[in-house]
Amino acid sequence: MDYFAGVDIGSTMTKVVIMSDRIEVSLIGPTGPEHRKLANRVMEEALNKARLTFEDLTYIVATGYGRINVPFADRQITEITCHAKGLHSLLPSVKTVVDIGGQDSKGIKIVNGKVMNFVMNDKCAAGTGRFLEIIADSLGVPLEKIGEISLTAQKIAAVSSTCTVFAEQEIISRLASGEPIANLLAGIHDAVATRVYSLVKKLNVEADIAVTGGGAKNIGLVKALESKFGQALLVPPEPLITGALGAALMGKDIFAKYMAEGQKPTRSVNKLEEATFFE
Amino acid sequence: MTDIRDGNGLAAAEKLYTQYGSRARELKASGKKVIGYLSALGPVEIMTAAGVLPIRLKGNVSEAISKGDAYMETIVCPFVRNVFDLAVKGKYDFLDGMVLPHQCDSIDRTNETWSYTLGLPYWHFLNVPHVTDDPSIAFMKEILRIFIKTLEKFTGKAITDQAIADAVKAHNNNRKLMRELYDLRKSNPPLISGSEMMKVLVAAMSIPVEESSALIEAVMKEVKERKPAAANPKAKRIMLIGDQIDDVAVIEAIESTGAYLVMDDLSTGSKMYWQDVDATADPVQGIAERYLRKLKIPTTFVGSADTYQGILEERFGHMKKYVNEFKVDGAILFIYKYCDPYGFEVPAIKSYVEAAGAPVLYLEDEYSTSSLARVKTRIEAFLEMIA
Repeated sequence: MDYFAGVDIGSTMTKVVIMSDRIEVSLIGPTGPEHRKLANRVMEEALNKARLTFEDLTYIVATGYGRINVPFADRQITEITCHAKGLHSLLPSVKTVVDIGGQDSKGIKIVNGKVMNFVMNDKCAAGTGRFLEIIADSLGVPLEKIGEISLTAQKIAAVSSTCTVFAEQEIISRLASGEPIANLLAGIHDAVATRVYSLVKKLNVEADIAVTGGGAKNIGLVKALESKFGQALLVPPEPLITGALGAALMGKDIFAKYMAEGQKPTRSVNKLEEATFFE
Repeated sequence: MTDIRDGNGLAAAEKLYTQYGSRARELKASGKKVIGYLSALGPVEIMTAAGVLPIRLKGNVSEAISKGDAYMETIVCPFVRNVFDLAVKGKYDFLDGMVLPHQCDSIDRTNETWSYTLGLPYWHFLNVPHVTDDPSIAFMKEILRIFIKTLEKFTGKAITDQAIADAVKAHNNNRKLMRELYDLRKSNPPLISGSEMMKVLVAAMSIPVEESSALIEAVMKEVKERKPAAANPKAKRIMLIGDQIDDVAVIEAIESTGAYLVMDDLSTGSKMYWQDVDATADPVQGIAERYLRKLKIPTTFVGSADTYQGILEERFGHMKKYVNEFKVDGAILFIYKYCDPYGFEVPAIKSYVEAAGAPVLYLEDEYSTSSLARVKTRIEAFLEMIA
């Protein structure tokens, strides 16, 4: 049996998917400043869970912004291509993907399972998971609760600043003047959704639309996005792993292509061992 | 200076690129006057005819702005701010003067800040008009004559029509040679890489025209002797579009993915070299026409066709030619933040070049390598998309 692994190193989370003709195991762990060490550890854990050894893996593809730092990967492919690939395998009807990650958000247009166009926002934190993290922190609400709380709002307290720092100041002063937290959270989700919507709208948006990334786990954000797009959005069962899944699938495709030509792909010489970060 | 012999053209270009302005510094020490200028609108023929060395100023994308912002508002474009910062920090302390052509508001409205802060012996603002009809040509000729007079006064030497005609000839020859070098990028793989080409282009902006021509000839000879490598059939041929890109950082980001940068529409590249000055009875006439009408840049271009499509052809038709002649698979449109002249044209360029058969990736960024990793992800994703 051939096993393929995809490793997606995002700004806050590292994701690993190991698959054969089905998904064997998927694992999510936090990303630290030392990507290489961490990728190594998450991979080891995933292999243990799947009862496999590193030698059992046929091909490994790394993606995400830390993809260059994965010493044992055979190939690096951008998260744009991998997200599209992974999502298409889970939800083939989707033509537009909205991915909300820790440090960027992006829109991807898929035609026949391939990337047709994409947009990315990463010049500032507005419209990203980091923005929500900072606001949750300044309101003293756990990040995983903010979505649900925002849905209990009596009204949306409009937040006019798109700059994270100014928005935080605005929130704190509104809080001081007695605005309920739920209303403020609704306002913040609305602000992020507006930001993401205007970014993705640059693509020729077509249904179905799916949301992935950490942002998709926030029900408040998904609802806010649905009201902007004016339609229900699809969320895959585990929205964090589409990139890693796509990477594993890309590896599988690459391997199949080599085999069809009667060749073996060149493997990376690196073993699964801790790499020195400062080499 | 670096001896430009056969076989070391690329090494000489590399040195002039890495130690930008080193030749100007040498010539200054031997008594030559050095005049800096900004943008593709600097009339180099007139400066060469005046016996001074024109050097086009560049910034340093790897250096953070540390002093310039104390004098110049941050609303100014990141490129102008970066160059000004270097000038304030003494990078261009060999300059005897500067000429600032009115390319855009960021140059026009900072003219006094430059002149007051740097306090150079010679200063001139060349008030290039932004329309191209006949009265504007007459105006352009007048301001070129005023420029000539100020240079004559500064150097104490008359600039004869003959000297201008000779300089026109030398610069036209230089442009012809550079176009011949560009031709060597048409093969697959190109004989000269994009980053090598950028170094030659940058080196050429900083040395006397005859030395620049000798440099291009040496580089041509050198790369022609290369054994043609086997082309990677998967490697995409890319064209880079923008204003002043004067560093290899972005180009290395493109080429490190295995793609070939084969053509550009940059103001440091083909924009500078595709249009010659016509030899006219009054040499100033030819210069005025070249800078105002032939050099198609966003702030001076005025369309004359009846239809929108016709105006697009006038403005961007050359890019369609490049796509075909250089077999371009994809184009990267790289615009600096706050650059409104180029920013306004983005949707038109994108749709025009895509209709010509090359998908376009639009990037808006700082004049800085600080965001290079993010830019690289977009470039790689774009190349994966068009693979």
